[in-house]
Amino acid sequence: MKRIIAPVSRRTFLKTTAAGVGVLAAPAIISHKALASSGEVNFTGWAGYPKLAEVVFPAFEKATGIKVNFTELPDQDAMFAQAKVAAEAGGIDVIEPTIDRWGGWNANGLLQPLDESKLAMDNYLPGLADGSAGERSRADGKLFYVPSNWGTEALVANEADAKLSSPPSLGDLFNPDNQVVVRPHSTLAAMGRYLDAQGKLPRPWIDGYTDMGAMVQLWDIALAEAIKAKGNVVQWWSGENEANAGFTANGATLGLNWDSTGYNLRNDGYKYIAPVEGAFAWHQGFVLMKNAKNIDQAHEFIKFVSTAEGAAGWATAFSSNPVGKGAAELMDPDVSAYYNGTFNDEALSKLWWWPEQTAEFISKRGEYADKYKAA
Amino acid sequence: MQDMLRRYGGTLTGAFFLLTAFWLLALIILPNITLFESSFRLYLPVTEIGGPRDVYTLANYQKFINNPVDTTIFGMTFQMPIHMKTFFNTVLFSAVVTLITFVVAYPLAYYLAKVVSPASLPTLILLLFIPLWVSEALRAFAWYIILTFNGPLNSLLVAIGLLEKPIRWQNGVFTPYDAIVIGLVYTYVLFMLFPIYGSIQSLDRNQIEASEDLGAKWWQTHLRVILPHAKPGIASGSVMVFMLSAGSLLVPTVLPSTSSNWFTQTIQVLMLESQDWNSGAAYSFLYILLCSVVVALVMWLFKVKLSDIAK
Repeated sequence: MKRIIAPVSRRTFLKTTAAGVGVLAAPAIISHKALASSGEVNFTGWAGYPKLAEVVFPAFEKATGIKVNFTELPDQDAMFAQAKVAAEAGGIDVIEPTIDRWGGWNANGLLQPLDESKLAMDNYLPGLADGSAGERSRADGKLFYVPSNWGTEALVANEADAKLSSPPSLGDLFNPDNQVVVRPHSTLAAMGRYLDAQGKLPRPWIDGYTDMGAMVQLWDIALAEAIKAKGNVVQWWSGENEANAGFTANGATLGLNWDSTGYNLRNDGYKYIAPVEGAFAWHQGFVLMKNAKNIDQAHEFIKFVSTAEGAAGWATAFSSNPVGKGAAELMDPDVSAYYNGTFNDEALSKLWWWPEQTAEFISKRGEYADKYKAA
Repeated sequence: MQDMLRRYGGTLTGAFFLLTAFWLLALIILPNITLFESSFRLYLPVTEIGGPRDVYTLANYQKFINNPVDTTIFGMTFQMPIHMKTFFNTVLFSAVVTLITFVVAYPLAYYLAKVVSPASLPTLILLLFIPLWVSEALRAFAWYIILTFNGPLNSLLVAIGLLEKPIRWQNGVFTPYDAIVIGLVYTYVLFMLFPIYGSIQSLDRNQIEASEDLGAKWWQTHLRVILPHAKPGIASGSVMVFMLSAGSLLVPTVLPSTSSNWFTQTIQVLMLESQDWNSGAAYSFLYILLCSVVVALVMWLFKVKLSDIAK
């Protein structure tokens, strides 16, 4: 019989393997920076939104020739941790926190101001980068933060089984007839705002965000009330997948969730409802790292997300709302229909923007969340 | 060392030595020293680092005994710091996991080592290993799906009429930690099986036969001959399963009830949500220390020496 397969000796094996390793290592040896045409930008953002890399980054590269090196992280806390490392080691130019958190990043010396002349501030929809949001985007008069998209945290309800009061309220989360999927710290804030609206708090709930003495006083009350109602919680969530599974796998009928959860479940008999107290709202955007290497490219990138095309792509990827003028017309009609179904002008005017939460506040909030979970 | 020099020559031996030293020093020892040092400092904004408030203190460690909450054990209610309560629950349920894995693994190890025919042994071991080829995350998530309210277990039990209506298994039938215990047992049972299998295998079959010839009942043979011989394997299996369970973050995060909290989750919240790396570091070291104390105590109680485990 003819031997058709050459015997693999130890020597040829070693040779081939060494050659293979060489090929694998080549990209590291020939710097890709040397090959790039018009630069790159190192962007660290949220994981789990594949349309950013599929749609928005290619469109940006086509428009400007700048390549986006995207690092995905699951949540903002991981981003902050990564930014602390990058402040020493480099490697991040632009990162995407929320408006209530960048102040803490800046206090930690991670950021540098943006150059307004390199952006197009007129691109932004009214109310998002000016007014009170604009004031919260600045420190010492310098612009540190511009928005990329915004969204809400409100009630996701099973249309058939959820027991809602009329009009629907945050208090419905504490009704024993509802099975709820919530996250601990938001639930305590929801209880606080519900009690506040009922006039059952000794002082306004918002005081807790600026005065730690008031925070302890108010959160003690909210914690005690929330523990009384805890029996109807069927699952906690901390990310999109868990929230979704809380409804589909664990049979929750009501939840306090991100809008993306409601959007993903919209065809399965769930609707997204703004409570009468006002939906929790967040605002997410770009900041520039203090040791950013590609400053011009970073500004180009941020500016692109304020254009109609960029803002629409960004908001579509997050199933959230765009920040740029003219973007709404370019959005997927499904997404705009979903938003208009939840937010009329009144609901929009009642949006409750998450206040700034200091490091000390978040640490204390964590203790309350622990106590609530353990109860 | 002499042998390595003779075999590989000075250059290669030197390279091996330097690479190992770099690995140990730069990737293990230095990061741990940094973490240890930072655990004695307060979490301050960057601008205040090096300022008057930046002093060495035990404050991060003291947080462990802050924040008392009501705790009920055997009908008695008293105040216990919230994180100490989490720690005790973690240790208690890690011990439960260790015990269950032992009960499951011991008969199987005995069967593999002394009963089964050598010809089918490789197949059986392969069958045991196959689940290990699937990632731990997927296995934990598979249990999540099985135990969920609308999951296959409830559908099956309701369909065959054993249950009238579905049960929330994940929130626990006996304790809030049921699902976590199931997940951990499933994940770590092989870490108990193989050390016990190894130590039973080295037992001379003649000793078992002698015990039977002298009229010992099957359980007496196990209690007086096989178990004492397997003790080092049981000890190393138990230490491994206990420490892995106590240190697991994935399973308690994927399979939690609404009132479970694992100590690793507390550390994760400190590190990531509160962004307080200093307290997180302090809790990590405290945790290693306290778990080591627990393991040492149990080893002392069962008269196991470190040299037994190293056998």
